Amino acid sequence: MEIENKVEYLSPEGWRQWHLELLQSTLNRVYSRVPFYRKLMDEKGLKPEDVTDLSALKKLPFTTREHLEKNYPYDLFAVPLRDIVRLHTFPGPRTPIVKGFTRRDLASIRRLTARFLVTSGVTSEDIVQICLDPGMSIWIEELKEGAEEVGASVIPPDPQSVTNRIRIMRDFRTSVLVTTPSYALYLAHFMQEKGISPPESLRLIVFVGEGIEAPERLRLEKALGVDTRLGYGVTEAVGPGMGYECEEREGYHLAADYFLAEIIDPETGEDVKEGETGELVITTLTVKANPLIRFRTGDLCRFLPGTCPCGRTTPRISQIVGHSDGRVSIRGIKVSLSYIETLLEETYGHVPEYLLCIRRRNYLEELELWVAMNEKLFEPSILGLHRIAEKFEKTFEETFGLPCRLKLVEKDHLLQVAKGQKIIRI
Amino acid sequence: MLTVRNLTTHYGPVQALKNVSLHVGKGEIVCLIGANGAGKSTLMFTIMGVVRPSQGEILFEDEPIQGLEPPAIVSRGISLVPEGRQIFYPLTVEENLELGAYQRFKREPKESVLADLESVYELFPRLRERRKQLAGTLSGGEQQMLAIGRAFMARPKLLMLDEPSLGLAPKLVDSILQAIKTLNEKGLTILLVEQNARKALELAHRGYVLETGRIILQGRTEDLAADEDVRRAYLGKDYQKFTD
Repeated sequence: MEIENKVEYLSPEGWRQWHLELLQSTLNRVYSRVPFYRKLMDEKGLKPEDVTDLSALKKLPFTTREHLEKNYPYDLFAVPLRDIVRLHTFPGPRTPIVKGFTRRDLASIRRLTARFLVTSGVTSEDIVQICLDPGMSIWIEELKEGAEEVGASVIPPDPQSVTNRIRIMRDFRTSVLVTTPSYALYLAHFMQEKGISPPESLRLIVFVGEGIEAPERLRLEKALGVDTRLGYGVTEAVGPGMGYECEEREGYHLAADYFLAEIIDPETGEDVKEGETGELVITTLTVKANPLIRFRTGDLCRFLPGTCPCGRTTPRISQIVGHSDGRVSIRGIKVSLSYIETLLEETYGHVPEYLLCIRRRNYLEELELWVAMNEKLFEPSILGLHRIAEKFEKTFEETFGLPCRLKLVEKDHLLQVAKGQKIIRI
Repeated sequence: MLTVRNLTTHYGPVQALKNVSLHVGKGEIVCLIGANGAGKSTLMFTIMGVVRPSQGEILFEDEPIQGLEPPAIVSRGISLVPEGRQIFYPLTVEENLELGAYQRFKREPKESVLADLESVYELFPRLRERRKQLAGTLSGGEQQMLAIGRAFMARPKLLMLDEPSLGLAPKLVDSILQAIKTLNEKGLTILLVEQNARKALELAHRGYVLETGRIILQGRTEDLAADEDVRRAYLGKDYQKFTD
């Protein structure tokens, strides 16, 4: 399938016009239709007409995940509710976060995801198997539709044991696997342990949800005999396929026809110096239902200098090196510390000292929350303590589709292990 | 080919265009859709130099043209087929067409003008049949053909059409739009203003939606045709409620 991607090769002047036109129409829409943005812009004394240049973007206020929560359920929609044909919800610390899609939004995301997959090397001849946790349901949906748009045959991640997944891979001659790096590593390890040789048909793995370090990537490619490509996306903004590697595999090309990207210093909110690491900020340009202006993704990365030998003129970013907003990615699922704190507060009536441990067991990441014991935690019985912990674990798993064990530990031990951090990887 | 940036136009104290930016690439058909009074015709008049913008840039083939007089803009290669055709009723069909080439007679051999006249007659055989007839006696559809033919006689690179289907019977609308498509296939770039959004979206490659002087939406025409706002505008159902 041919993918329309001429736009990726626009001249700098072409990009300037493209972005200006879309930014202006986005602002015209949000100013007249989203009271939240109208208020923010009025507070800054800004009207959509004042944006005559892309540099005016810097005068616009940021949108944070907290704003998304506070404006739950309807207040960030830029279209009447009846125009929204799909609603996805995902957990926020206090309220759910909602993202709506108009028919047009779905079509445009489908096209973008297809472009991402085609650039990654997927063709209409491929059998694409998606292996992602249920916590990534939005992406599963979008990746499935994108692969279908390419014309490939898709095997979505229906609940199956690993053994069965490998069997299906073999029986249906899966040629492309779409998964997280951690699951791919786990799969490789599992095959090795059980003495199963990797399916011969498998030729490409498209990684989503998280990055992977170069040596580990190489090892995986060798072990499975495949090529790999990485994709990047922000669920709240556009979806998967917002960034993808070309054949050069030198960073993510951003889909600059869908959004504007900035990298700022998370402390000051100012642009970082050229090539420095900072927080990626996204302004959507084509989204109709839930447009976002200067959305702080919390993802730390840097712009890569120079133009890519592939000829695309879209900006490139490095892999994500961390999160500035206390979120952590486990198997591609983003868990925020503020959510954990809210849940601890609900469970114990206060937020005790805690430490989030990400344990890698057989390459699969597992979560453990260590909670420091204190006098306020005490229950008359051990059973009571267990029940409370179970309640926490249940709510956590319900919310993220991911288990998290709660472990009570001595405060001194916790502090010793944590060394001032709230998250550690073991 | 045409790049418009931050265009603002006033009629006295009334702001008719507010920070409009758009572009038309070579070989494209781009349509502008919007309700009455949205500023579509004003945008055309501003590009043509009939109305002066109070702010903004208009670049044609990378050269600024804002501030130029309409004849200078026509000679750069932009022609307008105005709304309501505005043909010269007391003149014959052929005289009207020749007037379209008025600026060319001074600098081009007559043969090339005559060749274009022939092309117009090929495109609209009806005009050839009525070449000696007074323009005022033509039917609405024929007058529209004449208006397009006259604009084409200036040998434009960009042809702008303001409501070419206005007041025409459905069958005639189709033949006029077909003629526009043919002109485009021959290499002419088209900027089309149309109230008949469905027809415009069928014909054009890309489109912009203008609402009270502002562009609120743009994109590929198949996306616009599926867009709820556009559908409401096109259907005329409770449009006001959502856009004002």
